[in-house]
Amino acid sequence: MLAHFVAAVVAPVAVRRLGARAFWLIAAVPAAVTGWAVVTRGSRTEVFSWVPGYQLDLAFRMDALALLMVVVVAGVGALVLVYCGGYFNSGDVGLPGFAGMFVAFAGAMLGLVLADDLVLLYVFWELTTVFSYLLIGFHAEERNSRRAAMTAIVVTTFGGLAMLVGLIMIGLAAGTFRISEIIARPPSGATVTAGLVLVLVGALSKSALIPFHFWLPGAMAAPTPVSAYLHAAAMVKAGVYLVARLSPAFADVSPWRTITVVFGLATMIIGGWRAMRQYDLKLLLAFGTVSQLGFLVVMVGVGTWAAALAGVYTLLTHAAFKAASFMVVGIIDHGTGTRDLRKLSGLRSAAPVTCVCGVIAAASMAGLPPLGGFVSKEADFAAFTDDPVVLAVLVLGSILTVAYSARFVWGAFAVKPGREPTVMHGPGVSLSAPVVVLTVATVLLGLAAPVFDPIVARYANAYPPGPDDEHLALWHGFTLPLGLSALVLLAGAALFVARGAVSRVQAVLHPHLDAERTYRLIMHGLDRAADQATRFTQRGSLPVYLRFILFALLMMPGSALLAGLPWGGAVRLWDVPAEAVVAGLICVAALATVNQTWRLAAVMCAGVTGVGTATMFVLHGAPDLGLTQFLTETVTLVAFVLVLRRLPPKFVERQVEGIRRLNAVFAAAVGLLVAGMAYVAVNARTAPPASAGYPEAAIEAGGHNIVNIGLVDLRAWDTMGESSVLLIAAAGVIGLIYLRRTPTMPRAGESSGEVWARPGVPSFEEPEAARPAATWLRGSETLSAERRSIVFEVTAWTVFHPMLVLSLFLLFSGHGTPGGGFAAGLVAGLALTMRYLAGGRYELADALPLGPGVCQGAGLTVITVTGLTGLLISGEVFRETVLDWRLPVLGEIHFPTSTIFDIGVYLVVIGVVLDFLRAMGGELDRQVEEEGEEVITA
Amino acid sequence: MNNVLVPLPVVLPLLAAGVRLALGPRITRVQRGISVAVLLSIVVIAAVLVYQTDRYGPQTMDPGGWPAPIGVMLVVDRLSALILLVSSVIVLAVIVYAIGQGAADNDEVTPLAIFHPAYLILVAGVADTFMAGDLFNLYVGFEILLTASYVLITIGGTGARVRAGMTYIVVSLLSSVVFLLAIGLCYAATGTLTMAQLAVRLDALPDDVRLVLQLALLVGFGIKAAVFPLSAWLPDSYPTTPAPITALFAGLLTKVGVYAMIRTQTLLFPGSNLTTLLLVAAALTMLVGILGAVAQTDIKRLLSFTLVSHIGFMVFGIGLASRAGLAGAIFYVAHHITVQTTLFLVTGLVERRGGSTSIERLGGLARLSPLLAVLFFIPAMNLAGIPPLSGFLGKLGLLRAGVEAGTPLAYTLVGVSVLTSLLTLYAVCWVWNRAFWGDRSKVPEPGQIIRTREGLGGTAIVAAAYPGSMAGTTLALVGFATAFTVVAGPLVTYTDRAAAELLERTPYVTAVLP
Repeated sequence: MLAHFVAAVVAPVAVRRLGARAFWLIAAVPAAVTGWAVVTRGSRTEVFSWVPGYQLDLAFRMDALALLMVVVVAGVGALVLVYCGGYFNSGDVGLPGFAGMFVAFAGAMLGLVLADDLVLLYVFWELTTVFSYLLIGFHAEERNSRRAAMTAIVVTTFGGLAMLVGLIMIGLAAGTFRISEIIARPPSGATVTAGLVLVLVGALSKSALIPFHFWLPGAMAAPTPVSAYLHAAAMVKAGVYLVARLSPAFADVSPWRTITVVFGLATMIIGGWRAMRQYDLKLLLAFGTVSQLGFLVVMVGVGTWAAALAGVYTLLTHAAFKAASFMVVGIIDHGTGTRDLRKLSGLRSAAPVTCVCGVIAAASMAGLPPLGGFVSKEADFAAFTDDPVVLAVLVLGSILTVAYSARFVWGAFAVKPGREPTVMHGPGVSLSAPVVVLTVATVLLGLAAPVFDPIVARYANAYPPGPDDEHLALWHGFTLPLGLSALVLLAGAALFVARGAVSRVQAVLHPHLDAERTYRLIMHGLDRAADQATRFTQRGSLPVYLRFILFALLMMPGSALLAGLPWGGAVRLWDVPAEAVVAGLICVAALATVNQTWRLAAVMCAGVTGVGTATMFVLHGAPDLGLTQFLTETVTLVAFVLVLRRLPPKFVERQVEGIRRLNAVFAAAVGLLVAGMAYVAVNARTAPPASAGYPEAAIEAGGHNIVNIGLVDLRAWDTMGESSVLLIAAAGVIGLIYLRRTPTMPRAGESSGEVWARPGVPSFEEPEAARPAATWLRGSETLSAERRSIVFEVTAWTVFHPMLVLSLFLLFSGHGTPGGGFAAGLVAGLALTMRYLAGGRYELADALPLGPGVCQGAGLTVITVTGLTGLLISGEVFRETVLDWRLPVLGEIHFPTSTIFDIGVYLVVIGVVLDFLRAMGGELDRQVEEEGEEVITA
Repeated sequence: MNNVLVPLPVVLPLLAAGVRLALGPRITRVQRGISVAVLLSIVVIAAVLVYQTDRYGPQTMDPGGWPAPIGVMLVVDRLSALILLVSSVIVLAVIVYAIGQGAADNDEVTPLAIFHPAYLILVAGVADTFMAGDLFNLYVGFEILLTASYVLITIGGTGARVRAGMTYIVVSLLSSVVFLLAIGLCYAATGTLTMAQLAVRLDALPDDVRLVLQLALLVGFGIKAAVFPLSAWLPDSYPTTPAPITALFAGLLTKVGVYAMIRTQTLLFPGSNLTTLLLVAAALTMLVGILGAVAQTDIKRLLSFTLVSHIGFMVFGIGLASRAGLAGAIFYVAHHITVQTTLFLVTGLVERRGGSTSIERLGGLARLSPLLAVLFFIPAMNLAGIPPLSGFLGKLGLLRAGVEAGTPLAYTLVGVSVLTSLLTLYAVCWVWNRAFWGDRSKVPEPGQIIRTREGLGGTAIVAAAYPGSMAGTTLALVGFATAFTVVAGPLVTYTDRAAAELLERTPYVTAVLP
């Protein structure tokens, strides 16, 4: 088997190199396997560990049934490969891939019959499905092929998955997945019964039994070698094989026998009936195969010694004659270009060898002595002599078989009156040799039946033999089966002769709703359901998604919260009465935000809520947080205002009043929910908070400002993360606003002196002499004259440096008193903002001539290097070390590494503010100037 | 015991990102080298951590030398280590692919050199999430990766991307708010955010309060993980970004949510009584997701829906809350990260070769580019759970767990799982039928201009042969996914031990609070 997968990889290369002739070379692999199987014969077991956690091992076991299957799979495989060498032309598109898949399929099929592990069996089972999908779709440009391939894979995988669940149920119930062990000690119980039904679903779908049979005729879109192999000899037998494999253990478990017999018989009749309607020789054979598969499942599923013997022998003979018949059709198709039996005429003389083989194969199919088909059919009838109902249906099915076999021979070879003999080029040796071999095998299976009997009987011996069970032979004397055989042949022949009448009856009886149409309806319905469901859930509207989420929030924690009523605990409304005032203010501002029609006003109101929150921090005794929050609010407001210049001043009113109300209800409900949750959570507290340990830790870390120590030392790890968040957010803004333009540093000299100019309002000319000799801010010279404000320029010039000093002070004093890198960075950022507002983008570039991202990048580098240094020195990332130097002038320097960390934060924050100004301020200015619109200055 | 390797997967990419930004857009080749080297080293570190955690138990690091609960504690246990390893391999592969694409596209996806910093920061965020031992740090990790993802999703700023980015960002912000709210509530109720300590203290809370906290966390993570009904944002936002970014998001970001669910459900809320809720959500996620996939004609959108659908498999495992279920979920996470990323990368190749990802405009690719066909087919079958690929093994674990649980609901989930598998197969075969088989004339010759892109820049989209590094990386990932099958034995036992460790809780708790 391994050889097959290796060959599967090699095959495409070989075919590419050698053309179609490579198939002959490849055929050596399955031929060798056949030889090996025949020689070893006895039972062998090989186990390799794979996934012990799932009790899934690569367990292989060779016994009588496996041996027979290997001979069928590998033997027919070898012959079909030889046949392929003649069937295809070297230049056919996709042939190398085809060769690879074909051989891989053969390998998977061998694995399937050799596997001694339920799940491993499923592995190969699905592999054969997938490869058959690819093989059926060989003519990929034809819609029919693609559709048929899809139908085949969907139907068989449906069964396969059901089977997988069934196998798991059985395996878990048995405590082992090893097939041989399960057969030896079959588990029982309701789970096992359900599992068995599921397994049967898989087996029936794979072997194309009703109601899954329709995929097989569709699969005839595949090239004929594929049909001969997959859809006659090998893959479709997988279901039969599985039933044969498990019957010895489970045939007596209640629904097993009923299901196999009922569905098998129904399939046999319907398949035969439909076969008689076909005009395409291949479809005729396909429905014949469906019929025979039903028959086989009955035989191996019923679970008696005689039936098992007969069933497995029928499996052999069927493989031989059906593969041969398909190959004959392939030769005809290849030679004449048609498979329509109404068009074919007089091939008897055009292809005598083919004709002889075809006739023998069909005769075996019909059960004519002394061929294999006769022997097996005799045995089949003999096995059911004590069950007249089943026997009667079998006989009926066999009559149909005879009829369609005759139709096949007549259709393919007969001289039809009023038809010119069809022109046909003769098949090469490569095409006819495999057919001849299979035909000889068919004859041998008849004449030499007793030779094969002992091997087949080894499988049948899993059951106790009955008192009058007989072994396989051509001649048993004048028995009931012989009489039935004769009856079948006569009735079948009569049915064929009366084909005109039969087809009229069929035309009347043809149902409007067959399985295939049902499948199409189901799939169509599925597609429509998918469309509907998706249209319902996938609205493409953000507000709808948000409502979904809020709804989930209300439903889940909300209902849990209500279930917990009444809540215990006490309410303390405020610590300081001022809190209530501030809280009220925040609520009013929030409500006002929602109701604004002007964007700027909304931003201002939102700003009030932020300031209110900052005040809350202060009231709670956290001036540090308050300071940071105030500064953040200010910077955010600036950013907002800068952006608003590019937006319409008013909101676009699109919401319907009802939706607005709904949203209001949602908002109020979520607000109540959060308040309720907070109430419950706070009142559930019993343990002291972790923050109780902070003051002590802060002192240990050498400072008194808990917030700052927390940020740069205790939770430096979080701060590093948040710094990167800030940094990347700014980088994203830069990226979005600049898009493909690489940011360049604006230089004052390049300016036209028209920045923020008002189009339409003529810039008043300053008399040359009136120009001051030196301006306060160099960049402001680039501004359009009417936009300049001396007062503002002076203020900016005056305040800029003190603000920077202040920021540095905040930075270094952070450890002990309010401040720290974050607040300090914001102060510095505000200083830069002032320079920008007073002097425009050229002034900004002048104030800090750094490229975008550079400052933050440096900051993040400093932060991470600090962390890594700690890791290097003490093995703990961000471990603080205090550096003490004695410098000549300054004296003792006490410098904890956390300050370096804080410098990193400082740099990141400055860089972020700088980039916001650059992008939302400077670049937007530039874009506006280019578009010639008026700029609304702050 | 502090392990010096633990913080590196976070610190190294941040350092690289910082250096990269500080140096500006100069010497790109060196900088690309740095990115690749950093990510490669993380793969090695993660591999060592897998070994160490499996051998010696959870590995920890307390930054700054402050033990929990004062400081932030980083913890890597078997679950974290495995997911970290798989994601670092993915991240490495995607960056190589993106560099290949960028080199071929004249940096179409890398304007302003923010691609690399954003990418590295995202990687750091993901790593931080996986090793956060502190609920707030988990939030910080989320924020890092989310903010970086905001940048990446809107990169290039085309109209479609900004629209998609809007949905993505607003929904993510809401999820962050919910998460932050839940964190606040947890602290209010217990006074700690160190997860190990929370594990102890939450046990002492009244049941209803615990349930409120648990559900609030679940909603937050459910949005991130795209669990129905919180999933609708995903298929609307992922498909518009360039292939490597979609691939990265699809592989990692939802799994971060799943990881957080696994961590909090097992560590903080053991013996959960939410099994029914989770299982129902899992079933709906699977079904709604896969029905969405069936209704699509664009490969990227289709794959986004399968992504949602297969999140259901993981939630199924979490919902079962048994050792087998969790082990199955963990295996499935590792599998799904790999396969979903690979498929999106392949789609990138398809887009490049065929000029489109719409099935209507593709055909006959199997003949035109057999390599591409193989690259698509194997992971597609893997996604559909065809044996012996990892998707099958993951599914097998979950089905076994479901059958073992044996309740009617568990059996329903088993049924829904196989139905979802079948429909997944149907969906990917549909793509195969239309795009890889079928009419070859729809696909333009290499070099032919297909159409001009709307919006800025007006770059023409040209069908082109893809550069070797893109195909090579994809091939390597297909190989990586296939390797799961080969090492399935040890991997399954590893996930089983990981699940056992999660359920036991004590190894984690004692590693943090000795």
